[in-house]
Amino acid sequence: MKEFKKNDENKITSGFTTPEGYFEQFTVELNSKLKLPKTEVKVVSIKTKRWLTSIAALLVVALSVSLYSKMVLSHSEENSTTENYITNHSEISQYDLITLLDTKDIENLGMELNTSNTKIDEEFANTNEIENYITE
Amino acid sequence: MEEKEFILQLLNPKTQNNAFQKLLSDYKRPLYYHIRNIVLDHDDANDVLQNTFIKVYQNLNKFKGESKLYSWIYRIATNESITFINKKAKLSGASSSELKSKIVDNLRADSYFEGNEIQLKLQKAIHTLPEKQQLVFKMRYFEEIKYEEMSTILGTSVGALKASYHLAVKKIKILITKD
Repeated sequence: MKEFKKNDENKITSGFTTPEGYFEQFTVELNSKLKLPKTEVKVVSIKTKRWLTSIAALLVVALSVSLYSKMVLSHSEENSTTENYITNHSEISQYDLITLLDTKDIENLGMELNTSNTKIDEEFANTNEIENYITE
Repeated sequence: MEEKEFILQLLNPKTQNNAFQKLLSDYKRPLYYHIRNIVLDHDDANDVLQNTFIKVYQNLNKFKGESKLYSWIYRIATNESITFINKKAKLSGASSSELKSKIVDNLRADSYFEGNEIQLKLQKAIHTLPEKQQLVFKMRYFEEIKYEEMSTILGTSVGALKASYHLAVKKIKILITKD
């Protein structure tokens, strides 16, 4: 039968056609698809997620505690360093300190000390070197 | 350009893109018709053709050059088409031959089928054949693929392919001249 011979002009074709411009469009579409990232999105199960969240929370707590204690330590270190500085530096006199304090500061200091007259008398009676302080 | 040189270009990241564009332009038409002959529907052929080229692109580094590039690409396209039609048949609760017969029966309504009576008759006749004979007939008759090349694509001996084709032609002749 003629129809089944190769390279025959009367050969029956498959009859399949494509939309107009299909092959040009195909190239465009395929190229844009191939530019997409090939890595697959990893699916993390809820169980794993929960574990990860718990570990993260624990880490945050541990870090916060260590950071806080470090801050407190450094603060107290800072205070003692200032105190040591003041006591060890003779050039800072009590007059220097007085000039730095205003009346409000002095009142506040008095409130903090809360000294009564009897307590002062007792202190005078028991301390021998008190005269030196008064004369100064 | 020699095939070895072309394959090296495909494997080299610097030349890969240009080489792949050439491969795409050389193969998209013949591969489309190869796939379309198996899956029959245009939209399905388009999906399978895309999957085929994506697989080719992603597996270029695995191509060892043991077979010709042509055979390797056609083998991927054939496997993708058969897998696609089997999956589609499974989803519709029919066998792949039942599904294809159904599609052939509706070809007249397909916008991308020329609708000629003799073409329709031939398609119907082809789909009465066993699956392997259908494939051999389509590849030999419509696509004019040489038996040697077909042998590397389908992994069947040349002798078996020739026998299969002649049997197919014989049956089709009877079916076409019957009415």
